[in-house]
Amino acid sequence: MSLFGTTSKFGSNGSSVGTFGSAAADHHNPMKDIEVTSSPDDSIGCLSFSPASLPGNFLVAGSWANDVRCWEVQDNGQTVPKAQHIHAGPVLGVCWSDDGSKVFTASCDKTAKMWDLNSNLAIQIAQHDAPIKTVHWIKASNYRCVMTGSWDRTLKFWDTRSSNPVMALQLPERCYCADVVYPMAVVATARRGLIVYQLENQPSEVRRVESSLKFQNRCVAIFKDKHHKPNGFALGSIEGKIAFHYLNVPNSVKDSFTFKCHRSNRANSSGSQDIYAVNGMAFHPIHGTLATVGSDGRFNFWDKDGRAKLKTSEPLDQPISACCFNHNGNIFAYASSYDWSKGHEFYNPKRKNYIFLRNAAEELKPRNGK
Amino acid sequence: MGRKKKKQLKPWCWYCNRDFDDEKILIQHQKAKHFKCHICHKKLYTGPGLAIHCMQVHKETIDAVPNAIPGRTDIELEIYGMEGIPEKDMDERRRLLEQKTQESQKKKQQDDSDEYDDDESAASTSFQPQPVQPQQGYIPPMAQPGLPPVPGAPGMPPGIPPLMPGVPPLMPGMPPVMPGMPPGLHHQRKYTQSFCGENIMMPMGGMMPPGPGIPPLMPGMPPGMPPPVPRPGIPPMTQAQAVSAPGILNRPPAPTATVPAPQPPVTKPLFPSAGQAQAAVPGPVGTDFKPLNNTPATTTEPPKPTFPAYTQSTASTTSTTNSTAAKPAASITSKPATLTTTSATSKLIHPDEDISLEERRAQLPKYQRNLPRPGQAPIGNPPVGPIGGMMPPQPGIPQQQGMRPPMPPHGQYGGHHQGMPGFLPGAMPPYGQGPPMVPPYQGGPPRPPMGMRPPVMSQGGRY
Repeated sequence: MSLFGTTSKFGSNGSSVGTFGSAAADHHNPMKDIEVTSSPDDSIGCLSFSPASLPGNFLVAGSWANDVRCWEVQDNGQTVPKAQHIHAGPVLGVCWSDDGSKVFTASCDKTAKMWDLNSNLAIQIAQHDAPIKTVHWIKASNYRCVMTGSWDRTLKFWDTRSSNPVMALQLPERCYCADVVYPMAVVATARRGLIVYQLENQPSEVRRVESSLKFQNRCVAIFKDKHHKPNGFALGSIEGKIAFHYLNVPNSVKDSFTFKCHRSNRANSSGSQDIYAVNGMAFHPIHGTLATVGSDGRFNFWDKDGRAKLKTSEPLDQPISACCFNHNGNIFAYASSYDWSKGHEFYNPKRKNYIFLRNAAEELKPRNGK
Repeated sequence: MGRKKKKQLKPWCWYCNRDFDDEKILIQHQKAKHFKCHICHKKLYTGPGLAIHCMQVHKETIDAVPNAIPGRTDIELEIYGMEGIPEKDMDERRRLLEQKTQESQKKKQQDDSDEYDDDESAASTSFQPQPVQPQQGYIPPMAQPGLPPVPGAPGMPPGIPPLMPGVPPLMPGMPPVMPGMPPGLHHQRKYTQSFCGENIMMPMGGMMPPGPGIPPLMPGMPPGMPPPVPRPGIPPMTQAQAVSAPGILNRPPAPTATVPAPQPPVTKPLFPSAGQAQAAVPGPVGTDFKPLNNTPATTTEPPKPTFPAYTQSTASTTSTTNSTAAKPAASITSKPATLTTTSATSKLIHPDEDISLEERRAQLPKYQRNLPRPGQAPIGNPPVGPIGGMMPPQPGIPQQQGMRPPMPPHGQYGGHHQGMPGFLPGAMPPYGQGPPMVPPYQGGPPRPPMGMRPPVMSQGGRY
């Protein structure tokens, strides 16, 4: 299929640039998406595209090789490596500032850094007692700060100029994933904890939500209503399920539901299933539809309002460990690398890690009606 | 919905026994789960239709309806929605529902939310003391038949006021509740805790809308959580609820009988009040009275099973594990710290311990090598190692930690120290400005207090 229609910013480049060994026989890229050049040498833990305030599209990826790389993604699909910076430990979270001038990176080295792309300098702005899993930039009407969630069971907020956090909140358990869409923030922790915060004036906890999933939380993403106000979140677990929780909505109980996903049926339809973890999820910024990626090596697109699955990809030969959309939803990036779901034994350090880019302008349109 | 008679029962799927609140949804479910061709995914309308399609188009025979429970897999029976269900199966279903309602009434009386009861005018006297005595804890009589969604609702409300002197507000709530109920119920018999737990999801939510009426009813019960449940008692309850709806329809006269009867054999009041209920549950409890932390294995038990696919949207759930339901969940309950390995029918592709994949991986020595140790020298500008591409192994790059086995096996450590392998040393920063060698402190002075070495200077980041 032609990846880039006239409506997309990508232009009409249909072939991947800089493919290394994209043999037809192997399944490293069954969806024939664009491969990003110079991909990291170890598993990619996180991906993030630049915000709309920056002209063009820049992608950053944090990897288990301790580095964070930045590419410019051009309209014709070419990816140009631009910069990288290194942590002392694997990088688990990346986030852009709202003006696109800085990238915040969180690492197993217990620090988070602010990487100024103009000067290519990175300075440490946060410190925890254990690896930092999530980092998010918060722009409120009266303050700006970086929120870091760590396995040390704290959620800290940093003004990048001071070495002490401006606020530190205790979490019930280790932070596994988080999302921020001002003025709401959601943090999902170990032992299925889920906490919702509001960020106006200063961050404060609003409530703890009982997770409707029975297994470990793995990824979370906030969604917005038609007025672009956050009104709920989607949660993915290791058990091949995503749950949508509506908050502050009158029918909240009734409107929350789950989907099973990232499961493979064995040959007979009533036979056993392999259930895979949902490694990442992202909402399309325009259509509000959801993309999820899993250990089964597939990505799925979902329409939560129509309660329908829009698309399932072919399986890649490795799990997909992270995903994200660019600011206008034309590009969907997903990373193919081992996520440790089968333990140490299945880790092959020589395997290439890929990041693929797909034209997302059309495929994520919601279905009409249910 | 408000129809009094829906084929005498809430629409349910003959193939897998699930309940639905609307026949339309039931049909969508059947088309997606039972009448869908496994080869080309085309959705047919009936079982025989599917068989014929497979034969004609794919030249394949099928002998059983996909995703059907054993005993209900007959491909020859022409069932569409609720039409075509053999009479004896309908009766069996009705009987089952009745049984459930009875059980639930006996056990629980809980009820939660709505009590619909049907008219128990006679009962009213007995209720009076209710609010006062915690014996059952709630207004059991109200609950009776079926709890909330009483299909008979239209008729009930009138009966209620006399019944529950204390709960008049309930009334208005009742009818609306009904519609809500069914959605949740199609999970037949496995509700248990998960049901309760899912405050948000639960169909019981259906009951929620009547909200205004409910809270007064159940002091302390979180709306919508019908039976606060720390107890296993709940499950039956929920089932009953589900069932009760239809059951109620069938037995409007019954209520009186049930009213006095339901003294739950269980003596402990299930929810005399929220406070007490909480006391019953060890540990922090979420809004649904379910413990937030799963450490106590027992408390987590109930929620686990059943959840599977509690979804309101029928089309999107895969039902393969539905009916077998509890399996994957059940196993989980027993292990607080490790995951269950699931049942024979499904397998979770995840290491056993319940820690995240990243935590597991980060424990490996390989990923810990570069972590700063206390007292280490700051990471300065490392010598640019042999550049040869992305991150070639950097033998011999002096690693401040002193442990760099010269074998960065996967080349990852190499990267740590190189300026930018493969790039022109001193290459321009990507965004084109800024002297590469500028001291890192952008923010000013208090760097050292951070307790870490000065920020890594990433020089010229091209790679």
